[in-house]
Amino acid sequence: MRSTSLRRHFLASIVMLLGVTLVLGFGYPLLVTGLSALLFRHQADGSLVYHHGKLAGSSLLGQSFSDGKGNPLPGYFQPRPSAAGSGYDGTLSGATNLGPSNPLLIGFVPGVNTVGLDGKPSSVNPFATKADPACVPTDPKGNPVTSPAPGQRYARSPDGSYVCDPATVPERAIAYRKFNRLPAGAAVPADAVTASGSGLDPDISVDNALDQAPRVARARHLPLYQVINLVHRYTRGRQWGFLGEPAVNVLDLNLALDGLR
Amino acid sequence: MSASGWVQLASVVAVTAVAAPLLGRYLAATFRGASASKNSAPGDRVFLPVERLVCRGLRINPESSWTWRSYALAVLAFGLLSTFLLYGILRLQGLLPLNPTHAPGMSPFLSFNTAASFITGTNWQAYAGETQASYLAQMAGLVVAQFTAAAIGLSVALAVIRGIAGSARTIGNFWVDLTRSLVRVFVPLSVLSALVLVSQGAVQNFSGLRTATTLAGGTQQIPGGPVSSMEVIKLLGTNGGSFYGAGGAHPFENPNGFSNMFDLLLVIVLPFAIAIMFGRLIGRPRQGYAIVAVMAIVFLGHTVVSMQAEAHGNHLLPASVSQAASSGNPGGNMEGKETRFGPAGSALMTVGTMGTTAGATDSALDSYTPVGGTGAFVGILLGEISPGGDGGGLYSMLVFSILAVFIAGLMVGRTPEFLGKKIRAPQMKLIIAYVLTIPIVVLVFGSMSLVLGAGTRSILNPGMHGLAEVTYAYASVANNNGSAFAGLAANTPWYDTTLGLVMLVGRFVPIVLALAIAGSLAGARVHARTRATLDTSGPTFVVFLLGVIVIVGRLIYFPMLILGPIGKRIVG
Repeated sequence: MRSTSLRRHFLASIVMLLGVTLVLGFGYPLLVTGLSALLFRHQADGSLVYHHGKLAGSSLLGQSFSDGKGNPLPGYFQPRPSAAGSGYDGTLSGATNLGPSNPLLIGFVPGVNTVGLDGKPSSVNPFATKADPACVPTDPKGNPVTSPAPGQRYARSPDGSYVCDPATVPERAIAYRKFNRLPAGAAVPADAVTASGSGLDPDISVDNALDQAPRVARARHLPLYQVINLVHRYTRGRQWGFLGEPAVNVLDLNLALDGLR
Repeated sequence: MSASGWVQLASVVAVTAVAAPLLGRYLAATFRGASASKNSAPGDRVFLPVERLVCRGLRINPESSWTWRSYALAVLAFGLLSTFLLYGILRLQGLLPLNPTHAPGMSPFLSFNTAASFITGTNWQAYAGETQASYLAQMAGLVVAQFTAAAIGLSVALAVIRGIAGSARTIGNFWVDLTRSLVRVFVPLSVLSALVLVSQGAVQNFSGLRTATTLAGGTQQIPGGPVSSMEVIKLLGTNGGSFYGAGGAHPFENPNGFSNMFDLLLVIVLPFAIAIMFGRLIGRPRQGYAIVAVMAIVFLGHTVVSMQAEAHGNHLLPASVSQAASSGNPGGNMEGKETRFGPAGSALMTVGTMGTTAGATDSALDSYTPVGGTGAFVGILLGEISPGGDGGGLYSMLVFSILAVFIAGLMVGRTPEFLGKKIRAPQMKLIIAYVLTIPIVVLVFGSMSLVLGAGTRSILNPGMHGLAEVTYAYASVANNNGSAFAGLAANTPWYDTTLGLVMLVGRFVPIVLALAIAGSLAGARVHARTRATLDTSGPTFVVFLLGVIVIVGRLIYFPMLILGPIGKRIVG
């Protein structure tokens, strides 16, 4: 009797599987697609943005504003660092997944993750440079060295100091200050020096945008107040006053800047 | 934590407090009675003809009710065949139509891992959705599995309720429960919620990758796909598997602050409602609310701790990096988090789903602060009861409740009773097996991965954190959560195979044991309540049950606490 009931279970399973595959696998997504296209075509399509008639991106996806060599363009507001491929790659969304004490994220912090030239835990960072006490050195190929060992070769800059891995938060903060001509030690908004969860974050914080505004104004020969006004116009408050955080959409803001010309 | 974090938490609590009882009432009306047609239920005019058609197609009698063995066999047969079908689709997706991104067939290891992952509702993803899964595989394979996994959970919960509280010796008909769950709960809610998400900006199309010319003169590939339809059942079914690699952090899945909270509500409201349904079905609504209270306390505990920690930020960053929240800066630990959610909103959504089997994330857990990440860990290690998966949360709570009643009975010297039925040795043996299954597989495979080179080679972050990556992986999949400290490179033959096996054990062994417990209580005599009966719905029981859950959870935790310091010694 057990075997007949088992056989009946399997037969019913096959019919059920075919049924749900047809109805839920095809009918359901097609129904949702059809209704979405009717009611919310723009959103369903990806909130696409066109510039001079050509597809320029999506207002929901961040994109790079760098030249062909990867240098950030001073005339555009810069998005957050991105871990999606080589940066804002729409096919490789993702985060760095670096742990909160990983030297690739925070640099070498003595007492936490710092090792000396001999590879043993150390209470000082032997690679510290004048600008960056948390410097993580790189090898001659430019790869960061997080576990130094005797015999390891390091890249050096002309003045003899170590060449630091540029992707750590302390290095990014230094680069951010330099790029925006902020004084040494000036506060840097956290979002400007950390990578997002998707690698495609379309937004930056308001502070981040305001820090960048003078640079953008200089590069575009625009009065500063005009750029700051634009930042405020493209600042989106909390949804319904309490959901999420205020943010500035970088693509929309940069499109508006281009439109000023 | 900033005021907006607290306000968002309060709004989630308020909406759940209103929506869960309403939904619970609807579920109770829908599933009242052992068979499909005895009682009238809301929406019969629309739904009943569909259900009759399914019963005719399956050639089953909707009035028939089975023993627990028969019910368990049907669940296993259906699970086994679904796994085979999904495995086949994933292997062959490169040859099948609807593949605009030209995803090649998955390797045998990855196909097994992914099939086991979605059939069990784990939704651990060792592949990247954008490029490694075709639209057909996502729609007709993964989404279908997400629907059936959720419906199986709810069906098993219904059967367990009938066994534990009912007077019949049989516990229902799996096909009737499965059909009814899909037709009257999951499909209608999914269609409506998907449209809400699309209205916010989640995408739903078949356009494949489109190439945009960026303002700076470069190009960017813009992905598409039937995303919303999958996103909704991923959440509503407490599954967790996303269309894209970045999951709920991806702006095309989770475009704004509203969708972020809506996603969390989709995950947690239904498990709470199922507990309320339980109370109504057994005619003791207070019993349902007692379980809801325990779920809610655990939920708030681990979620608030994580939100505070993430809003506080990473103290190892240089002091000049501004992590203090202000009107112009969300502040906090922003590594792996999206600007539009901020640290508190991210932790609320991500850690809020860790007490369910969804494990849906909108931020990178691997980059959470130690305390913030521990909040997520605790949600999983306490056995996912806050509020748990669809159905799974309830039957886990019922098992813990019987355990609590038994311990209380030993303490005061009374024969333990739950819902008027005496708890004896056969039930206790099954319950101990239930409680121990998951720790055993987590610890055995976790330790093997830390010893074998095949396991340690995949670790991204050094030291203690690497230990967390591995143990979290096994704890996550054994509890069918599926979230990850994603630094672990999990698509290797070792991890694909062992994690796949652990998921299957973590899903189907507890189901069979829960059904066996229900079967052993089915038809048992119901004793009248007297003054000597232990009250299982008052505040005393809530606190006692909470204690039992925490102690058992600690026992799971303990070996890891030992392993941790020892691991640190060896590395340091």
